[in-house]
Amino acid sequence: MGFLKVHQESVTPEIAEKMCEICPFHAISYNEGKLEIGAGCKMCKLCVKNGVSGVVTYEEEEVEEIDKSLWNGIAVFAEWEDGKIHPVVYELLGKARELAKVNAHPVYALLVGCGLEDATEELRHYGVDCVYCYDAELLQEYQVDSYANVVGDFVEKVHPSVMMFGATVKGRSLAPRAAARFHTGLTADCTVLEMKDNTDLVQIRPAFGGNIMAQIITPNSRPQFCTVRYKVFSAPKRTDEVSGHIEKMVLTEEKMQSKVQLEKKIEKPKTIDIAEADVIVAVGRGLQSQNDLTLVQEFADKLGAQMACTRPLIEAGWFDPKRQIGLSGRTVKPKLIITIGISGSVQFVAGMKGAECIVAINQDKNASIFDVAHYCFVGDLYEILPQLLAQLKGGTK
Amino acid sequence: MKILVCIKQVPGTTMVEVDEETGVLKRDGVESKMNPFDLFAIEQALSLREMYGGNVDVISMGPGQAAAVLKEAVYMGADKGILISDRSFAGADVVATSYTLSQGVQKAGQYDLIICGKQTTDGDTAQVGPEMAECLHMVHVANVEQVVAVEKNDIIVLENQENYQRELRLAMPCLLTIEKDANTPRLPSYKRKLEKRELEIETITLADFADKDKKHYGLAGSPTQVERIFPPEKNMSSQRYEGDASELGNVLFGLLHEKKFV
Amino acid sequence: MSLTNEQLSFLKKIVDSSRVWIGEEIGEDYSHDELGGVSGYPDILIKVLSTEEIAAIMKYAYEQEIPVVVRGSGTGLVGAAVAIKGGIMLETTMMNHILELDEENLTVTVEPGVLLMELAKYAEDHQFLYPPDPGEKSATIGGNVSTNAGGMRAVKYGVTRDYVRGMTVVLPNGTIEHLGGKIVKNSSGYSLKDLLIGSEGTLAIITELILKLVPLPEKSVSLLIPYAKMEDAIGAVPEIIRLKSSPTAIEFMEREVICFAEEFLGKKFPDTKNPAYLLLTFDGNSEAQVEREYDKVAGYCLEHGALDVFLVDTPERKDAVWSARGAFLEAIKASTTEMDECDVVVPRNRIAEFIRYTHELAMKYDIRIPSFGHAGDGNLHIYICRDKLDEQVWKEKLEKVFEEMYEKAAEVGGAVSGEHGIGFAKKEYLREQIGEEQIRIMRGIKQVFDPKGLLNPGKVISGE
Repeated sequence: MGFLKVHQESVTPEIAEKMCEICPFHAISYNEGKLEIGAGCKMCKLCVKNGVSGVVTYEEEEVEEIDKSLWNGIAVFAEWEDGKIHPVVYELLGKARELAKVNAHPVYALLVGCGLEDATEELRHYGVDCVYCYDAELLQEYQVDSYANVVGDFVEKVHPSVMMFGATVKGRSLAPRAAARFHTGLTADCTVLEMKDNTDLVQIRPAFGGNIMAQIITPNSRPQFCTVRYKVFSAPKRTDEVSGHIEKMVLTEEKMQSKVQLEKKIEKPKTIDIAEADVIVAVGRGLQSQNDLTLVQEFADKLGAQMACTRPLIEAGWFDPKRQIGLSGRTVKPKLIITIGISGSVQFVAGMKGAECIVAINQDKNASIFDVAHYCFVGDLYEILPQLLAQLKGGTK
Repeated sequence: MKILVCIKQVPGTTMVEVDEETGVLKRDGVESKMNPFDLFAIEQALSLREMYGGNVDVISMGPGQAAAVLKEAVYMGADKGILISDRSFAGADVVATSYTLSQGVQKAGQYDLIICGKQTTDGDTAQVGPEMAECLHMVHVANVEQVVAVEKNDIIVLENQENYQRELRLAMPCLLTIEKDANTPRLPSYKRKLEKRELEIETITLADFADKDKKHYGLAGSPTQVERIFPPEKNMSSQRYEGDASELGNVLFGLLHEKKFV
Repeated sequence: MSLTNEQLSFLKKIVDSSRVWIGEEIGEDYSHDELGGVSGYPDILIKVLSTEEIAAIMKYAYEQEIPVVVRGSGTGLVGAAVAIKGGIMLETTMMNHILELDEENLTVTVEPGVLLMELAKYAEDHQFLYPPDPGEKSATIGGNVSTNAGGMRAVKYGVTRDYVRGMTVVLPNGTIEHLGGKIVKNSSGYSLKDLLIGSEGTLAIITELILKLVPLPEKSVSLLIPYAKMEDAIGAVPEIIRLKSSPTAIEFMEREVICFAEEFLGKKFPDTKNPAYLLLTFDGNSEAQVEREYDKVAGYCLEHGALDVFLVDTPERKDAVWSARGAFLEAIKASTTEMDECDVVVPRNRIAEFIRYTHELAMKYDIRIPSFGHAGDGNLHIYICRDKLDEQVWKEKLEKVFEEMYEKAAEVGGAVSGEHGIGFAKKEYLREQIGEEQIRIMRGIKQVFDPKGLLNPGKVISGE
């Protein structure tokens, strides 16, 4: 750790002007013969690297180093609800095993809830060394304060080197709360994780809406917290044999008592909002008749997708206007959009080109939708879809 | 009810690039603006004030220029703006930022409710709200879709979970982070701008904090280090599949499977 | 008329067959335009690629006396691009290339099928502004020029006509001519290019355009100004203009229409507490300059009946407000079963009177008439909604409403169409407004360009 030191004795007005220009954050100013670094400083150190040599220097400060050997193990928060383990947990366990190998660390699962026997057994099929169970009636319902107490208790007792959470709604609220308790680093939405020999976790995450990637380490604090989104890593195969042991943990009633009271749970109102949908199946004029929508709807249901369409189908009265994508309809930004029989008019494309993954099915190999699609399937939708559906049905068995 | 909204000034666009040579963000010509997520927090606070009375203050941490977003919040209807600004805060990561904010909030006064946006458009972490709540020893609810009611000392909120919503009751003081699009933020009023022309933004510096230890702030107080920033790989080149239609169905199925959509 | 097999096969020889559709192969879309009130199929649809190709087709059509209709992306509202007499339809959407940006002469040369949104983006990417900004961004530039489209920025920047420097056209007999050029001034005889602008495809076929650009203003801010009454809102407009500030746009909107847009887009508008709004935009090269511009206006409005003045200054806010404005037409359309539109333009100081009159008409005929439009230039978009009326009653009421409305427009010194054109649907109203003498002159001009009456027959002025 360190700080920036300004050597005023070597500052001339010309040098000052130069230094002010160098700072990309306009944090350096020159007032009454003094060169000052203001609150806008981001510590990018460009003024040290590219500035007039010796004017600003980076001074290292002595920092007491922690003993990393006291922190062992990669722990995964095994998000649980109503008897079910969130599938992201298995993906995290898979990654945890990879990371643990580097320094021969154990892999832990931290399971919190009520009536956890089955869940505990299930976790043991994924190569854990130990499942830590906080099983109590008070923990039946997730609440951020009581669960943070559990994580806190676990960290104090077990001293894991890494704590991994799914970047779920719960994980994204609980992990920061727990990390702040230990004044340690938490890196959200990691897409790449690597382990160094010195047990430092290299975490890579997107920022600025994915336009920038940042590589982050937590060199002198433990545990190292991170969250990872569902479906970023792959889940390992469930093994037939079980591994690891079970550690039953206890916590005082006071710590398990939440200050938040659940009044009621509410089903999410089912509104058509294609703008919010993660997966969209969009159809266009390539569809020959309204009856064929059943086929597409079946496909969309299998994918858990919202149906959407182009303007002509609204005009034909096949859809609610709320389902129209395009300049005169909605703008969508799903993770996946599959366009079926859509030629790709400018109006339509303007409303969906922000999708992360665009799959297009169209018979016309020159269709302009193929200019924006990431995966172009040139063929007859009436042959491709039934085959795909058959596969999907087979796959769910 | 006394409400404090935490807001941030962010670059005007997320279309930023990394300077290949220096590994630093290119920000030339990029204007700044209020973090769009914070608009929903402000709107929530203002509508609570309309219903239950009280006042709404806004607070931000940043350089002097960040006063602009505080003023903007005042033009939207907030009563007062407070800026936390000190050179010692430079280079703060999420934890250090949250801690700094919590110190500033404590200095700013006693509030019944602290409201944050869900996340920022530059960091995208969604962590500062919950971490601040921890530093303030205050309970929080993230992803709040709606404040259902305020009953005496209790607040009842609707929290978004992945597949359902929960109606939660908690005692104030507490902290909420507001979901994106939970409401339609009102526009800043030119009329208010004229009325508030003389308004000064209050500034809080390290000297005003209860904890004045420099080691707890800025780079020194940050457990994480950014080793490097780099542009993401762009491997979205288009792939084309032609040929036997039923085979195409299989390929597409494989693709959906590989991408974990089925 | 229908084409003989011989004629069809000849045309197929000139043009690559993948760009030709005949009879049944022609999609339903090509039988109408955006509003759909006028319909008819061409015998043959050709997606053309070049001036030379169009010239070759025209030469043959002239010889064989086949009617020809040119179409862009079909976003018109008065049936101008519908082949009501069959024949050949030339579709220009594949002629969508931006050919040259001349930064020294500040011009851009484009093919007619370039979409307005594509041109706008291209200009912006090069730090230029193509000022005409009609609501329908997916219209082609060829169509914009053919209707002399206006749009939102007309108050400050003028209309499409003001940005056309030159053009290449194919005359009905197949001759290729260049009108105007990159020159800024021109005092050389009759301006044929200006005759072509707004001629709705009845005089010649535009195959290339030289358009004028202006440097891109760096900042723009909109003001959303609520009023307790529509009259107050519109009444402020002449005064705003008198202040000599120069807004690029002054739009008016009624709460009812905003609510349709909310419903249609599934997105709440930032303010719907008030019955009427003005939406003004100011642009300039610095924040300070723009602020100076709008300060005057905002101050004036607050002193004269405006309930507040809201600042629309960030991308999020602009999107929330302008996306609603952009959806008005579609939103009103979605709110009813069928509708027809009136695109009159009246002097700016008579707008309030005219809007009040439409409200009276709505009461008198018990029919819904929502409207919005360009208060800054007097161009109103008024929609007569059918809702649950049966065919007979609807037709009767519509005719009466239209008649009274156009009569009123003439009375206050207005014109039939501000920017959508005459096409097929408004021919009678044009004749009534401008009278026989002007129609006779127009007919004469048509005769000179197109002696056989082959280009877009039956449009704008009746041939008979």
